[in-house]
Amino acid sequence: MGPPIIGVSKHIQHIRELVDHVAHTGLNTVISGESGVGKEVVAQNLYSRSPRLGKPFIKINCAALPEGLLESELFGYEKGAFTGAEQKRRGKFQLAHGGVLLLDEIGDMSLPLQAKLLHVLQSGEFTPLGSEKELRTDTWVIAATNHDLKQDISEGKFREDLFYRLNIIKIHIPPLRERQEDIPPLVDFYVKEYAKQLGGENIEIPSPRIIDRMMQYSWPGNVRELQNVLKRMMVLGNCDQIVNELFATEPENNTEVATSVSTGQRPVSLSDLLDLEGENSPDNESFSLKTIKRKAVDQVEREIISYVLDKTDWNRSKAAKILKISYKTLLYKISDLAITPPPGKRR
Amino acid sequence: MATNPRVLIIDDTEEVLSALCKYFDEQGYEVVSADNGLDALKLLEEDIPGFDLVITDLVLPNVSGVAVISIVKKKFPKVPVIAITGWGEHPEALAREAQADLVLEKPFKLPDLEKEARKLIAGGSNR
Repeated sequence: MGPPIIGVSKHIQHIRELVDHVAHTGLNTVISGESGVGKEVVAQNLYSRSPRLGKPFIKINCAALPEGLLESELFGYEKGAFTGAEQKRRGKFQLAHGGVLLLDEIGDMSLPLQAKLLHVLQSGEFTPLGSEKELRTDTWVIAATNHDLKQDISEGKFREDLFYRLNIIKIHIPPLRERQEDIPPLVDFYVKEYAKQLGGENIEIPSPRIIDRMMQYSWPGNVRELQNVLKRMMVLGNCDQIVNELFATEPENNTEVATSVSTGQRPVSLSDLLDLEGENSPDNESFSLKTIKRKAVDQVEREIISYVLDKTDWNRSKAAKILKISYKTLLYKISDLAITPPPGKRR
Repeated sequence: MATNPRVLIIDDTEEVLSALCKYFDEQGYEVVSADNGLDALKLLEEDIPGFDLVITDLVLPNVSGVAVISIVKKKFPKVPVIAITGWGEHPEALAREAQADLVLEKPFKLPDLEKEARKLIAGGSNR
């Protein structure tokens, strides 16, 4: 299940070694790293090397659900526990019994629910909503987060006792920009994957020269962004243009503003935007009215959408209303234009 | 002591680790050390003669001291483990839950630690 942990950097080698040595333990684990670095891939690798392989692997995103719903998803409920609870429903802790429960975005869990999670981890027992019976669960809890949980503790947003109970094994995945040597093997792996999916014969794949350039880019959206870019290259062709676009939108200070396009340095005038003297010079082989126009339009769109997302605190349905585009179009544009949220906001 | 007892010492603070190693070495122990939990696990897995005692810090990168204790107690239940901690809060309770034989809070005196170590080694029938 899932891809292997790909890379040749010492960070990735270390993670693979760690996974090999701890997968059999079933001890609570926290996987940390920016959005898109591959936390779920590491969790799946832990599971597939553990004696729990073949048992359930259940994932839940703690940021995607409102508190009450997350609670009923985790612990389940009895018929009649609340208005609308017409059927008894098993919770994720019950479903994951004997296997693995991946709690994604654990840093976004509310404090009251953190207390309930702590109770389960301490006692191995939980009570479905509306039930009087405690149920036992033998679940390997793996938590993933892009937050600095220590920081969250100091701000009173995360329970320290829960932090220590979860943090028995810690696996940190560094951002892609800190391990550029992993880019060629990642490209190689996903090009093969997507070629299988696309199945066509005339698929354009990035040349070694393009891959070289890709290694210079900062990848604020990490491996997920790399996957999107590769898909675009293979579906649309014209790798040169796509790589140029990456650099055109890259914030100047690529280590600091790695996770937010919208706060980076922006071009201030039309001539900056078009950059006819530099990147988009007519001497360049990719030069054409169409490509330059498309790049400029993309950049304008990216700028506007980032601005509105910033203003709405990344509330995408609000942003879609303001932009007067459908929610689906907005999601497509966020992905297509590789707009990445600031730290702490989920994609 | 008849034979030199083998002790594995784990701490990620270099000064603490070297002080512990030096002291136990001077007291006639055969000392093996690791500055992180993963290296400690590897030593435990690969070490053929086995250890008579493990002394570990609790807050370590990657594989925490609590994990080391749990793993030692599962694989080598007879090997005594001493947890040393500078935090005096939650990890300490976790170390007890993981069945550390002794949790010692920093700062402590080296002779006191060695005395406890000797007691634990004498009490357990290990290897």
